[in-house]
Amino acid sequence: MAIYMGIDIGSSATKGVLLKSGRVAAHYLLASGGDYRAAAQSVREELLRKAGLKEKAITATAVTGHNVSNLPFEHKRLADIRCCARGIHFLSPEARTIIDIQALSSRAIRINEEGRVTDFATSEKCAAGSGRFLEMMANILRIDFEEMGPLSLESRSPVSFTTSCAVFEESEVISRIAEGAAVPDILAGVHQSLSEKLAALVHKAGLEECVALSGGAALDEGLVKSLEEKLGVKLLLPQPRLVTALGAAIMAAEAN
Amino acid sequence: MAARKYYAGIDLGSTMTKAAIADEEGNIIVKVAGPTGAEHRRLANLVMLQAFKEAGLTLNDIGYVVATGYGRVNVPFADCQITELTCHARGVSHLFPAAGTAIDIGGQDAKGLTISSGRLVDFVMNDRCAAGTGRFLEMMATTLGIRLEEMGEISLAAREKVEISNTCTVFAQSEIVALLSQGRPLPDILAGVHDAIASRVVRMVSSLKVRPDVVLTGGVALNRAVVAAITEKLGCPVLVPEEPLFTGANGAALLAPEMARRAASKGEPVRERHLAELRLYEES
Repeated sequence: MAIYMGIDIGSSATKGVLLKSGRVAAHYLLASGGDYRAAAQSVREELLRKAGLKEKAITATAVTGHNVSNLPFEHKRLADIRCCARGIHFLSPEARTIIDIQALSSRAIRINEEGRVTDFATSEKCAAGSGRFLEMMANILRIDFEEMGPLSLESRSPVSFTTSCAVFEESEVISRIAEGAAVPDILAGVHQSLSEKLAALVHKAGLEECVALSGGAALDEGLVKSLEEKLGVKLLLPQPRLVTALGAAIMAAEAN
Repeated sequence: MAARKYYAGIDLGSTMTKAAIADEEGNIIVKVAGPTGAEHRRLANLVMLQAFKEAGLTLNDIGYVVATGYGRVNVPFADCQITELTCHARGVSHLFPAAGTAIDIGGQDAKGLTISSGRLVDFVMNDRCAAGTGRFLEMMATTLGIRLEEMGEISLAAREKVEISNTCTVFAQSEIVALLSQGRPLPDILAGVHDAIASRVVRMVSSLKVRPDVVLTGGVALNRAVVAAITEKLGCPVLVPEEPLFTGANGAALLAPEMARRAASKGEPVRERHLAELRLYEES
């Protein structure tokens, strides 16, 4: 019986998926913390425990995300962009454009009908286009990430921000709070700022329907709504947190 | 009515509000600065009042008031507004008549100006990204747990400058946290921080025809390590006024007589200004 593991080491979370006979037998997600190697090892152990398997039962492991040296288990390294594309293609074969929002960067990826990457654009120079931006704004507003979406959807008149810099927008959020703006309106404005950055990135790579969203930020309904409005398309949300780890596991299987 | 022999300039920056008063001969007699804060109007009034107090003058001794800076529309007692670029060019040329280029690094923006015979020729500016502005230094000082004013001095003790690979202020902040946890000495990290802001600013002004003399102004010019890093990157001497914060306000005060003459020649009446207008805000 062939068993494949995919591990995606991200800046904020490390994700793992275990495939057994072509089906997902276990998945797991853990905050990466400061030690990526330990996080990857913990995810591996937890996946085995959940599936009731021993380490030697694993046919092959693929690791993607941060390039961590000296991982304490045998593995193959894969580029995360390909893993993300492969995972999305597996779950939503109709997707042709992927928006992958990571903690410290974001990417727009074009894929063909076989799930292969044909083009992509990356934004990694500026926090304003990354998941970090949402995290900063949640901090300032003293709300949890999970609350951002539902609150944002309550907005009636989104605040419009004059800047696209995360630092300057943080100051603007503080000013708007001081002026008495409602939290939902501020959040909706924050979501519009991020959507604008992401939309610009998508147009760089080329927008082709259908569009799928990947990364933890995809769980923020406020961002999804705002991005859908900006792009004029409905977004697919196939397991946004785990999809890259899933892609890694699938590619490990395909290589064998 | 007393003769209005003095002229005032007020520069509402994103972080600091600066006021200057000039006499008829074009000498700056008083300079006052205070934080801008959220209440532009109130602070503008307070800083102006303080300047009057120090000069022993009242608003009615002032022939003309020029407001500049990004908050210039929020000065109720100003006779006119002039962009900070024009005021900086004038203020810099007053101090350094041979200035060909001025670089102003403010709290939330940075500008590069080329100047010829005291007049603005061309400019470039960044107010879209915190990197390359005073805000970048402020964030790094906070992260490192030191005061903004001591950054420059500490940095000069660096032995091995670190390389800050991120441009973005937010990402650079995380990067220096990591550098600290690796045990890199504070002066070495600060030298990297100063190098980063200098690179950003020099890259910005390189789109201009940079000609000597080069003058650096704005609050960031008080940081000796930034001055040294910019000097090294430009490869030419960089002059810094004794009080680099005030070039915009000085320029505004020095442009005021000209503006007053222009207004008079158009037959515009001399505007009555009331101190009550000031007190209203002071007390609110």
